[in-house]
Amino acid sequence: MEKIKRRSALTSLGALSLGMAAPTLSKGERLSEPYQLIQQTLKTDILVIGGGTAGVVAAIQAARAGRKTILVENGSQLGGTTTTGGVNYPGIFFAWGKQVIGGIGWEMVQEAVALNDDTLPDFSIPHGKNHPRHQVRVNGQLYALLIEEKAVEAGVQIRFYETPTSATFQKGNWTVQTVGKGTSTQIVCNQLIDCTGNAYAASLAGFDLLRESVTQPGTLMFRLEGYDFNSLDLKTIKSRYEEAIKKGELVKSDFRNNIVGLLKSKGDNIQHVLGADSTTSEAHTVANLKGRSSLLTTLRFLRTLPGCEKIRLADVQNETAVRETYRIDGHYKITHEDYVTGKVFDDAVSYSYYPIDVHDENGVVPDHLKEGVVATVPLRALIPKNSRNFLVAGRMVSSDRLANSALRVQASCMGMGQAAGAAAVLASMQNKTPLDVSMKDLRKLIEEHGGIVPVSSQKG
Amino acid sequence: MRSGHKVGLLNAVFILLLLLPAHRKQDRIRYFNAPTIPLKPDTVQAFVSHFKDDAGNDTLFQTRSKEGYPVSYFRKIKTSVCFDNKCRLLDIVLYWNVTGRYLGFELPEGEFLSKTEHEPFKPEEYGRLNELLADPFSPLANFSYEELVPKADLAASGLDAVSSATSKNVLDYVVEGAVYTTYKMWHFVYGATQKEVVSLTEKRLSPGFVLKILESPDSGDKIWALNHIRGRVELTSGLRNTLLSFIDNNRFNLAERAINALSPDELKSDSLQLRLFEKFPQTNYALKNLIVTKFKEAPHLNPQVKTALARALKSANGELLSNILDLFKLHRVTDRETGRIIADLLQSPNNFLSQKAFIYLKSANIDDKTVVKQLNDYKAKHTL
Repeated sequence: MEKIKRRSALTSLGALSLGMAAPTLSKGERLSEPYQLIQQTLKTDILVIGGGTAGVVAAIQAARAGRKTILVENGSQLGGTTTTGGVNYPGIFFAWGKQVIGGIGWEMVQEAVALNDDTLPDFSIPHGKNHPRHQVRVNGQLYALLIEEKAVEAGVQIRFYETPTSATFQKGNWTVQTVGKGTSTQIVCNQLIDCTGNAYAASLAGFDLLRESVTQPGTLMFRLEGYDFNSLDLKTIKSRYEEAIKKGELVKSDFRNNIVGLLKSKGDNIQHVLGADSTTSEAHTVANLKGRSSLLTTLRFLRTLPGCEKIRLADVQNETAVRETYRIDGHYKITHEDYVTGKVFDDAVSYSYYPIDVHDENGVVPDHLKEGVVATVPLRALIPKNSRNFLVAGRMVSSDRLANSALRVQASCMGMGQAAGAAAVLASMQNKTPLDVSMKDLRKLIEEHGGIVPVSSQKG
Repeated sequence: MRSGHKVGLLNAVFILLLLLPAHRKQDRIRYFNAPTIPLKPDTVQAFVSHFKDDAGNDTLFQTRSKEGYPVSYFRKIKTSVCFDNKCRLLDIVLYWNVTGRYLGFELPEGEFLSKTEHEPFKPEEYGRLNELLADPFSPLANFSYEELVPKADLAASGLDAVSSATSKNVLDYVVEGAVYTTYKMWHFVYGATQKEVVSLTEKRLSPGFVLKILESPDSGDKIWALNHIRGRVELTSGLRNTLLSFIDNNRFNLAERAINALSPDELKSDSLQLRLFEKFPQTNYALKNLIVTKFKEAPHLNPQVKTALARALKSANGELLSNILDLFKLHRVTDRETGRIIADLLQSPNNFLSQKAFIYLKSANIDDKTVVKQLNDYKAKHTL
């Protein structure tokens, strides 16, 4: 039957073509029908939107706990900031000599380190000014392959190149409409986890969001080569840089007004794209254009400097990584005070350890935590007010700006991802909303999958 | 003689180190940190290398204990520290531990360090210098000589580059008033000499010597030693005991490096496999996974370890379960008891677990009626 339809359609096409201009088919070619948009409805227990740092962990956790799980990602690979963003040092997993983020995130990082013959840092070195030494460097592309393999092995159904357009809650289930390349999909799920980094699904669902009037700048990661920093005449270079800024040829804030820093870092996490926002295609396009244009202008300038004539771009990421956009208005908002005092909440589900780290147009001066302090994340901060069957994980966690500047880092997002995944599993199994899940059950499930939960660990 | 860099033995004969009498030592200014190896130096041997630095000579001295273990290294530095078009002599002896870690410094009799206007260092400034030199992560590593002092100020004739014009971000890492001295010494400590120290130590590695390094109070030294076991020294009973003692939840780095130090050849030993497995129940999830992964390197899997791991499957989840099944697949585990434990997982309400069990059993061909029945039931239930 199908064959007949297809044949008759092709015949009609052929007849039409004959009427206009007969196509000449080469050997092996055939006249193809126009592509039909695939419209379908999928049902799943848990839907994770966003396959970045937190989302991939949430999805793997959910699938490994036996729930049918779909992961929607609008890019072409998993890992987000760690992979596509190029910030391939997803620390920090250890604080004050003890591991604080474990579980699936740590498993993925450790495997990437081992498969690349890299070594882990010595986690016993003091924190404070040495905090960058605690960062675990991974090969970003290898990491993307590994985490994808893990997601597939866990049974996660990955849908790349798709983005949600609506999210509605009816009769205890969420219906999320997505569009992608040639797809229009309705996904019905019992529990929805927003890991977009921008609270995009929460926004579609109609929950309140918070945003700063001025957000932190984003960064396009790249790598320069072809020069010897130690032999450069930095005095001349600085003076030429200042002159170019005065003339309006370069923008002071693009590289933190620090040409020496740019040359010394070779491009590693030094660029600032003011106002970078990844929430929508349009906003992210602007951030990408700004980042690339500023890099190109600066590269051309660098090549006019003494000792930098042969400077070249060894590598550049595909998109500008973004630090801050929207946060949810959750059942609890983690404050700066909570963070820097290491408040352990009754419903704490994961740790977070990082200095308060607000980037602005002048750069960043991290404010390190006092010795022994490790912050925690309560379940309530992952749940938007007035929501049911809905969780978030990652940088849009409900928090004030200063707390968020530390919570937003990758290891913390992984911890939150695992907690959100586990909470969704229990809520789905017990037909509850995540806020009503028993903390005892939740801690047990997270720990069974290697995660580290604040209170229970402390009790031993 | 190794290729790559030439190490010349200056003296074929060991020179007995004449330990300086205590009162003479007290005359000298000396600042030291906790040593890797607290043994008394007994002999000194001199090595010449092409350091390509301006220390004034290319001789590196290695002190050894009575047992013949390297204890420390030192170089007698005589160099100039120049700034503001003036140079002054730096005459100092720098010491390294056997792992390349900075140990301390000593000034020749009657010598002292000075700052701007030849003002001598105060005791607290020597202490600060010692602390700064002990920091291998100091940002001084990345500062260029030119960055230490803003150029505009340097140009001002007669102005001391150190006291008033040091770059603000450098101040935390130098002795105030002695920026170039600190910088130069730090780069001596972490320059070519450090690599040579490690290279010379590596030539003297033995199980007893590695054990001594593992006793160091410094975790970096311990990690260094753990990284220098596999393929380099025999895993004697003493070394094995110490190595296994590092596998605990409180020191992840040491535990991870200790597990890594076990080679496939050593894992031939059933007793080592059993000793390693003893750690399994006491360790956290991450270390459990590392232990299971380590058994994948073993040429065979000890039957007791296999049985215990099979029983652990009953309560395992996620990655740990996958990892154990992968291990069994690698070692072609097809015995009835293990098969039945895995077959029970087919009935798990967790699809992930039951699918993992199904994939394993499908390829394992376990010759047991109960297992075959459970497998067939699973296939029927899932129309496979």
